[in-house]
Amino acid sequence: MLQLASQIEAAAAVVRQQWATIPEAGIILGSGLGGLADELKTEATIDYAQIPHFPRVSALGHRGQLVCGTLNDARVIAFQGRFHLYEGNTASQASILVRLLQELGAGVLVVSNAAGGVNPAYEVGDVMLIDDQINLMFANPLIGVNDDNLGPRFPDMSAPYDRRLAEVAVEVARQKDFVLHRGVYVAMLGPTYETRAEYRMVRRLGGDAVGMSTVPEVLAARHAGMRVLGLSTITNVGSPDMLTETSGHEVLEAAATASDKLIKIIRGTVHSLTA
Amino acid sequence: MLELYDKIEAAAAAIRQQWSETPRAGIILGTGLGGLAEQIESPTAIDYPDIPHFPRSTAVSHRGRLVCGHLRGVPIVAMEGRFHQYEGYPLKQITLPVRVMKVLGAETMIVTQAVGGMNPLYRPGDVMIIDDQINLMGDNPLVGINDERLGPRFPDMSAPYTPELIDVGQSIARREDFVVHRGVMVAVTGPNLETRAEYRFLRMIGADVVGMSTVPEVIVAVHSGLRVFGLSVITDMCLPDSLKPAEVEEIIAVANQAEPDMRALVLGVLEHEAAR
Repeated sequence: MLQLASQIEAAAAVVRQQWATIPEAGIILGSGLGGLADELKTEATIDYAQIPHFPRVSALGHRGQLVCGTLNDARVIAFQGRFHLYEGNTASQASILVRLLQELGAGVLVVSNAAGGVNPAYEVGDVMLIDDQINLMFANPLIGVNDDNLGPRFPDMSAPYDRRLAEVAVEVARQKDFVLHRGVYVAMLGPTYETRAEYRMVRRLGGDAVGMSTVPEVLAARHAGMRVLGLSTITNVGSPDMLTETSGHEVLEAAATASDKLIKIIRGTVHSLTA
Repeated sequence: MLELYDKIEAAAAAIRQQWSETPRAGIILGTGLGGLAEQIESPTAIDYPDIPHFPRSTAVSHRGRLVCGHLRGVPIVAMEGRFHQYEGYPLKQITLPVRVMKVLGAETMIVTQAVGGMNPLYRPGDVMIIDDQINLMGDNPLVGINDERLGPRFPDMSAPYTPELIDVGQSIARREDFVVHRGVMVAVTGPNLETRAEYRFLRMIGADVVGMSTVPEVIVAVHSGLRVFGLSVITDMCLPDSLKPAEVEEIIAVANQAEPDMRALVLGVLEHEAAR
């Protein structure tokens, strides 16, 4: 963890060369949600391959670049493509986007993902505001010698997702008149989709949605003292008693349907940062 | 993950040199179930150290060789001895034999294991057909860059155990008049057995039996497009409120008792698959 600080400094230096602005927020765009970057007034686009210490992106529906600019007058960096544990990355590598934001001075992280809904009230195409999370990945980005300059040894997790940002999101959904669930996200390693028995387990443990990302990023963001807004799009419904097959491409289609709602929430939330 | 493809090819080539038939199925024989290998007709046995990239069996009662031959006239390859995460092997290496079965031409994998029973209706010596599984091993053999030649990035797991074969197994047990359960197996790393609190936890999340293998092999079998039939022998009962210390020798003895039922199920499913 101690060499992490120098890696992030090197990565941030490359970004600053092309975009010398302190961002207010960073937005991580999950599977099929990369289109949100088109909403930005773009000032710079940087390929992940140009940034030192960034792993390579191999996941379906993830492009692998960061887009810097403004969204509703807020200065933001949108990450098109993230790093997953199932690609063979460590949890620390998976959260390097967040460390970059920390180094650049962003105070807010907006994180989105495609998730399977296990709450029977959820439907494909719905959006869930992440209220809380369960880490079932058997990994944690903070394992190792702690760098006290990056954050505390034992970060508090009593409220990983920021209450005030959540309220703004709920208000946007009300004003724009669409359903926004509020629930618990469970992260599993993947890359296999869950078995019926695993869906039942996730439900019994208190999960509403299950996915393969986000948790390492949020752990790093809380360690960094950033405020977090988390959004899941429900791309398939993991109902164990009438389970149908899940394919990566179906997940991407459902994510695209939900992306309109997601864009509204993210626009509204980042706008609140400028007020 | 990309060099995995070459390892599979090298292992399969070494086996083909000694046995040139195309297996209809691959069988993994778990703790105490190695006796089924003695039923194999005209066997060609290849020790694991003679197969490139195969790990070595270190587990008690696992012999460590691949037996190629026929069961009821059906060509098969059987693993006498398997590899476990608790032996220190990465899951990609543990599951290499499954990839090799697929490359040799097998269409079905039959996997057996000894497990602890947590469902109070089960008894030691009973056999359970695995209906579904929970992976609590903290790892997955498919982590890493995916090689599309071997299978899809995100395999569907809605029915990892082929439903048709579960039905076949149940009808064999009815016909032969013995008890067979159908339930959920959870896999943990081991090698320590579970605490009482852990048994309560595993029961609470929906598992009927607990073991230290099978899940990685089944994930890779599904990734490879193999049909899967899974059997668990309940070798000891893991009821948290009346828990006795487990003895490895006793576990193996109970597994041996269940062998006639296991044999009937394995042979019956093989015949079904050969007639398909």
